[in-house]
Amino acid sequence: MGDSRSSGDRHLFLVARKPRFGLPTACPSCLPVYLYLKLANADFSVEFDSSFPDSDHIPYVEYGESVALNNEKGGVIELLKEEAILDLNAKHTSLAIPDLVSTKAMVSSWLYEAILYELWIAIGGDVARNIYFSDLPWPIGKILHWKKIYDVKKLLGVTKVNCEERELEIYKKANEAYEALSLKLGDQVFFFDNRPTDVDALFLGHALFVLHALPETSELRSNLLKHDNLVKYAEHLKAELQLDSTPSSTQPSSSSKDASTSSAPRRKPSSGWGAKPNPKPKKEKTEEEKKFRRRAKYFLATQLVAVLVFLSLMGVPGDSEMDDEDAVDYDEE
Amino acid sequence: MANSDPIPRDQAPPSDSEETNGADEISEEGEEEEDTEYEEFEEEEEELDPVRERERLKSIFRRLSTDPVHVRVHDVVIKGNTKTKDAIIEAEISDLFKKPRTVQELVAAASIANARLKQLDVFDSVSITLDAGPAELPGTTNVVIEVVEASNPLTGNVGVFSKPEARSWSLEGSLKLKNLFGHADIWDTSGAFGWDQSLEIGTGVWVPRFKSVPTPLSARAFLLSQDWLKFSSYKERLMGLNFGLLSTNNHDLSYNLTWRTLTDPTRMSSPSIRRQLGHNVLSALKYCYKIDRRDSHLRPKSGYAFSSTSQVSGLWDLRGLKFFRQEFDLRAAMPLGFWNAALNVGLSAGAIFPLGRNFTKLSTSVPDRFFLGGHSSLVCSLGGPSSLLGFQTRGLGPNDMRRVLNLNKDEGLSVQSDCHDFVGGDLAVTAFADVSFDLPLKIFRDAGIHGHAFVCAGNLAKLSEGEIRNFSAERFLKTFRSSAGVGVILPTKFFRVEVNYCHVLKQFENDHGKNGIQFSFSSPL
Repeated sequence: MGDSRSSGDRHLFLVARKPRFGLPTACPSCLPVYLYLKLANADFSVEFDSSFPDSDHIPYVEYGESVALNNEKGGVIELLKEEAILDLNAKHTSLAIPDLVSTKAMVSSWLYEAILYELWIAIGGDVARNIYFSDLPWPIGKILHWKKIYDVKKLLGVTKVNCEERELEIYKKANEAYEALSLKLGDQVFFFDNRPTDVDALFLGHALFVLHALPETSELRSNLLKHDNLVKYAEHLKAELQLDSTPSSTQPSSSSKDASTSSAPRRKPSSGWGAKPNPKPKKEKTEEEKKFRRRAKYFLATQLVAVLVFLSLMGVPGDSEMDDEDAVDYDEE
Repeated sequence: MANSDPIPRDQAPPSDSEETNGADEISEEGEEEEDTEYEEFEEEEEELDPVRERERLKSIFRRLSTDPVHVRVHDVVIKGNTKTKDAIIEAEISDLFKKPRTVQELVAAASIANARLKQLDVFDSVSITLDAGPAELPGTTNVVIEVVEASNPLTGNVGVFSKPEARSWSLEGSLKLKNLFGHADIWDTSGAFGWDQSLEIGTGVWVPRFKSVPTPLSARAFLLSQDWLKFSSYKERLMGLNFGLLSTNNHDLSYNLTWRTLTDPTRMSSPSIRRQLGHNVLSALKYCYKIDRRDSHLRPKSGYAFSSTSQVSGLWDLRGLKFFRQEFDLRAAMPLGFWNAALNVGLSAGAIFPLGRNFTKLSTSVPDRFFLGGHSSLVCSLGGPSSLLGFQTRGLGPNDMRRVLNLNKDEGLSVQSDCHDFVGGDLAVTAFADVSFDLPLKIFRDAGIHGHAFVCAGNLAKLSEGEIRNFSAERFLKTFRSSAGVGVILPTKFFRVEVNYCHVLKQFENDHGKNGIQFSFSSPL
């Protein structure tokens, strides 16, 4: 299914949230990565994580001694392309690249915001709870859920005052994106040159999540259903890629490991818990610096010990014997 | 005896010889002599009375201390407690005064009662007096307990301590509010800041007894964050509640409900650690049995000690951590008969198993596993395998390679930070032998400064995730790490300092053992 830069003999390990709603992974951030690997015919295994629903680094792909984390350098797909592990766009002509990049930007921003809003704010907590928090004890899941809703509202700029206005704006952009994609797709199997690209992985993940995970009352789902060719595109590829069968984890699961999802926005990998800007490799300390630090530590410790010895030898030792206050001193009578 | 013409006391009475000479005089003189003799006899009796009184008292006390003088406690009177409930004081001492039948037993019971009441830590002073009982009930006594409640219920202290499970020493401060509700309750708030940037904040309450439960109860809420990035590439944050359910001299039962979060802000962790990151609930019951018959826990010279700690987790629901953890620790000390020397030996072992179906294939949580290494004292710490001098904290055992960063793939450059994460073991065994001895100089002996020579060994093994099938006792014994050394111990008022020179005898690839001088600071208590 599609040509891709070969990953060689390298076996990849994808760690994603758990499957649900008939999808191989129910998280809208993990599903595109899974589909990208599928479209690229990569040799990969899936493991599920259910104990870190608020992490930014999931999904991630391990290859050899390296790992591509979701919260670095634009995400897993961009890292895999940059590292020349898997690049679905490699065979496409340079003429298609500007169009591809702009389409990808639209899907990654407008449709991603729409998913965030729909999942965490619009439709209530059941879907999100089932995807992310069902494997955690109730109090922890509840607290993390509330925190996530707060973080998403902050990210999308949704407040009590402008809630309706933001909702209209988000749905309007999503509709425009659906119309543009529908026009772009037409009757093709894929969006560009009848070959899969990362845009296909991104939009297919979005569409499958909207169609299968969101309830029928979802406005986003209703808007997507208006575009028949997009729905057919998603269902066709779902059948082609045999996504109906739930992938089984090849690793023995620990007592607390299962699939869970991350919905950290790719645009801002530094948001969310535990995320920091890209780690800089630690500067190697010179031998002189190490020696100096070691000597300084010894010097300070020796000084401290000397002070303590002085206090011990010169001070009155604090006897802890207690006087018997109740003893009667017969001699004083 | 009345005397109409008493001789003033400033005139010395005549001596015997003078009395003898006065007896031959005429009758007037004889009457005077009789008066004189009578007065002299009175004076002699007055002089002899204090001596006789003293002798009488001495014989009474001698009789009280040696002969069984039967007595019965009629009543226990409590005085001085304005805030503390009578029931609290009575509950502490009620059983002590029912049994004594003699004065000696009563005095012993009184001293025990005194110690128990002082142990409550809510009184400035406690005095117990044995008063005579009602006149109509001979052979009875009233026990009068007079307490002086703490004038200042708020106390605080600051100290520097080192715990075996911590990476290094920490500055700890606490505030205590005593007897707020009159139940000898102690409310405390404490904070500890470690040299390794660990932070602990907690608040709790302790009561000596609660309703029908005769043993102390405690409840504590805490927030703890620890940084293990350097050793295992993760930071740990714990938030939870701890309930002390049973606490006696030998037994301790507690329940712990903790929300634990592991994160890796550096994103350099190994695959093993990366899979452990996230949230977990630890709902565990912990039972500790400890018996310490050593003559000192800082420098034991005779006796033995044993501790066993069992922990079972997974009591909340099916989604928390589920494991069973067991530790044993056995120590013995014997004097060697020269230079005040003593030989201390110890053997510790611990194991952790996940609970659940196919438990041999399940994984255990990294923070609950065993880690060896660090500088904590071999002799003083009692509580499972942890210390192995000569090795860094978490410096040996199962490990996993950290992430490789491909900075410049064209030139094939890559950076690997500090190579390995130590992931701990499911089985741990340590053993040591330590000889302590006085130093030659008297000034050192007087200050309690002494030397010691030691040899220690330990090993870790992974049993979870199917590794138990590959476990071999022979290989486990062959891969024991060991070290030896000598050192000086300085017991000061503020810390107990150990300065040791360690030489690593055996270590394996990726272990962080190092020859050289090490310092250890621990509590002086």
